[in-house]
This record gives sequence, C-alpha cells and structure tokens, in this order.
Amino acid sequence: MSIDWITVIAQIANFLVLVWLLKRFLYKPILNGIDAREAEIAERMGEAERARAKAAAAEADFVARKQELLAEDAAIVDAAHEEAERQRDALLAEAHQKLEHEQKDWQRHLQREQQKFTAELYRAGADTLYQLVRKALRDLADEQLEERIALHVTAKLEPMAPDLLVAAGTAEEAIVSTHIPLSEGARATLNRELAALIPDVPLRFLVDEDQAPGLVLRIGSAQVAWTVDSYTEELIGLLTERLATGALGRGGE
Amino acid sequence: MQLTPDEVIVFTIGGIGFSETIVYTWVVMAILTGTSVLITRNLRPDVPPSRWRTALEVIVTGIQRQIEDISRQASRHVLYFSGTLFLFIATSNLLLVIPGFSPPTASLSTTAALALSVLIAVPLFGISRQGLGGYLKIYIRPSPIMLPFNLISEFSRGVSLSIRLYGNVMSGAVIAGILLGLAPFFFPVVMDVLGLLTGLIQAYIFAVLATVYISLATTRPGEPVKKERD
Repeated sequence: MSIDWITVIAQIANFLVLVWLLKRFLYKPILNGIDAREAEIAERMGEAERARAKAAAAEADFVARKQELLAEDAAIVDAAHEEAERQRDALLAEAHQKLEHEQKDWQRHLQREQQKFTAELYRAGADTLYQLVRKALRDLADEQLEERIALHVTAKLEPMAPDLLVAAGTAEEAIVSTHIPLSEGARATLNRELAALIPDVPLRFLVDEDQAPGLVLRIGSAQVAWTVDSYTEELIGLLTERLATGALGRGGE
Repeated sequence: MQLTPDEVIVFTIGGIGFSETIVYTWVVMAILTGTSVLITRNLRPDVPPSRWRTALEVIVTGIQRQIEDISRQASRHVLYFSGTLFLFIATSNLLLVIPGFSPPTASLSTTAALALSVLIAVPLFGISRQGLGGYLKIYIRPSPIMLPFNLISEFSRGVSLSIRLYGNVMSGAVIAGILLGLAPFFFPVVMDVLGLLTGLIQAYIFAVLATVYISLATTRPGEPVKKERD
C-alpha cells in the first residue's frame, strides 16, 4: 500500500475536469431546466391567479349586473303592475260609466216603453170602457152614448156661456171632435144648443181616432172636454193597485 | 495479490505509463459525462421531461436537498463539488460489479487525491465566503491556543477521509478475493452485493463529510440560513 503522487496529481486534475464537465453538462442544464420549469409554473400559476381574479371580478360584475337587472326587472314589473292597475281602474271606470249610461238608457227606454204601454193601456182601457158603457147603455136603455154625451155637454155648457163667449172672441168657428162620428141627431142637438149660447159661430164636427172616447169642444182659446180619460185613469189606478198588492191573483183563487 | 490498481499499467505513451486507476477514472468520467450529455442535450422548457431526465433531476435535486440540509450556506458551487464527489465515488463503486473493472476508489492515490481536493476546497470556499481574515479566525477559535489542534484536526480530516474510503473499497475487494478462494461460487456474489451497498454508503459519507467541512468553513456563528445561486 503506497501513494503514487503522480497518480494523485493526475486524479486531482481528473476530478477537477469531472467537476467542470458535470457542471457544464449535468448540473447547469438540469438546474436551469428546473428553474425554467419552476418559473414557467410560477408564471402559469400567476396567470391562473390573474385569470381567477379576473373571473372573480367578472363574476362579481355579473352578479352586480344581475342584481341590477333584477332590480330593473322588478321596477319594470312594478311599473307594469301599476300601469295595469291604472288601466284596469280606467277600464273599470269606463265600463262602470258605460254600464251606468246603458242602464240610464235602458231605464229611459223602459220608461218610454212604460209610458207607451201606459198610453196604450189608457187607450185600450178607455176604448174598452167606452165600448162596454156604450154597449151597456144601448142594450139596457136603448140609448146612444154619443148622443147622451152631446146632450149632457149642452146642459153643462149653459152655466159656462159667459166664459165661452169671452173665449170665442173673434173665433171664426167652434170645433167639436169625437172619437167616432156623431149621429145626425146629436150633431143637430149640438148645433142648436151652441147656436143659442154662442151665436154667429159656426160649428164644425171632427173625428179624431187618437182622441179618447167622449167629446171635446174648442172655441178660440177655450177647450171643454168630456171624455172617459178620468175613468180610465181610475181604472188603471185600480188595476195597478190590485197588481201591486197581488189581490188580483188571490181573488182568482 | 494486488492491493492497489496503481501498480497495473494499462498502456504507455511516450514513456509515461497509464495505470488502471487513471484509465478507469477516465472510464467513469466518460460514463458520467456521456450520460449527462445524452440526457440533457434536448433539454428545453417546452419539451416534456423524459424518464431519464426525470431520474437525473431526482438525483441532482436529491443531492442539492442533502446539501441544503447540511449546509447553512447552500451554494451551487458546493453542489458542483460535493455532488461530483458523490457521483464519481458512487459510480466507481457501483462499477465494481463489472468483471475486470478495478474501481479507482480502491486506489489510495485516488482517495488521497479526493481528500486533498477536499482539503484544498474547504479553505477556498471559506475564504471566498468570509474572506482570508475571517477564514483564518476559525483556526484560533475559541482561543489562539487551539491553533495547533485545529491544524492537526484539519490534517487528520483529510487523512481520515482518504483512508476510510480506500480502506472500505479496498477491503471489500480483498475480502472478496480471499473468499473467492474458499467458496468461489457463493461468497463473491454476496460480497459484490455488500460491496454495492458499502460503496454507496461510502460515497454518501465522503460527500456528506466534505459538505460538512465546507459548511463549517463558510458559515459564521449565528449567521442565518441563506441560499445562493452561482
């Protein structure tokens, strides 16, 4: 066992060369590669962190915008609700007004119909009453109703003669209107009696089917009527009263 | 029986004989350098690391981690030095299994050269780190009376390093040779396996001790841990 110093020196040189070789071909490439990879990883992690932060910011922005949109939606919905309420109220008011107007129109129509019906009823009642009375008078007393009315009128006119003369004034004629034509006898009686009360005023006979049965005398501005209107009104009043109380129905039982 | 490969001359050029120690050292150097060049030639950040490159990275980072654990002043220069020591000794010892290969570390000249390298490198690292004055203060610490003892300690470190490595590697070869005569088909295999283990351990011990010596020379008491790059 001995030390060969030349070999020692050579081995030291070999070792130094090996250090340089491994530094050049092993350590530096490996360590630089690791450093580069770590730098790349750090850069990627930094990018990932930045991307995460950006994503978080985008998410926050999205959430804020979503909240804003939701708030806007809520405001729009509220406004739509309010507008709908307002339009509904307006439509309801318009409908109410229209309904009220239609009700009024309907009531007016009903009133007109009622008036028309009442008039028809009056006319029918008067005509019926007149026909019944006329028939009863003819059958029971062999009298003509028109003639009796004419005679009765002449009797009633006598106390009114001064008023009639004043009313006749400058009248050129006196008009007697009836529902149906008067008989010749009745006309003659009326001509005679009125000539005695109001001389120099000719009498003219007129038939008016729309007039209530009876007799109407017009002289100038005066008018004297003997019709069945009052009796008809009384008949209608009785019927209305009995219909309202249901007495008619109970009487039929 | 040869106790050292220094005595075997492989070839002679110009009257200078090249022993097995020198030749096999070159073989080890060629293997280490060639392997490194082959693996790291296409090393680019955009190329995914291969298995060989990963293996090299594991070895290099493992050595670096060991050095960082030992030294408070982890430097790449220490890695170059101690790492090369470990790789050279380990490769030499592992090649023991190849028939006919005489590991250079079985030569006392080689181990002495490596120990001398450590003895020279330690003050160089210390002076480069602390300056000449700062380094020389180590020898009079804790008091100037300790100067001769510190010098003896420094010298004995080199001797122990060289003798330990040489003794272990050479004794393994010698014991294998002796046992080869007793049981030629059994003991050599067992001894070779043990030789691989002890070879790696010796390489580790040598490199660790060298790192410890360098660390002692480069670290001031109470100095914080600092990692440097070249």
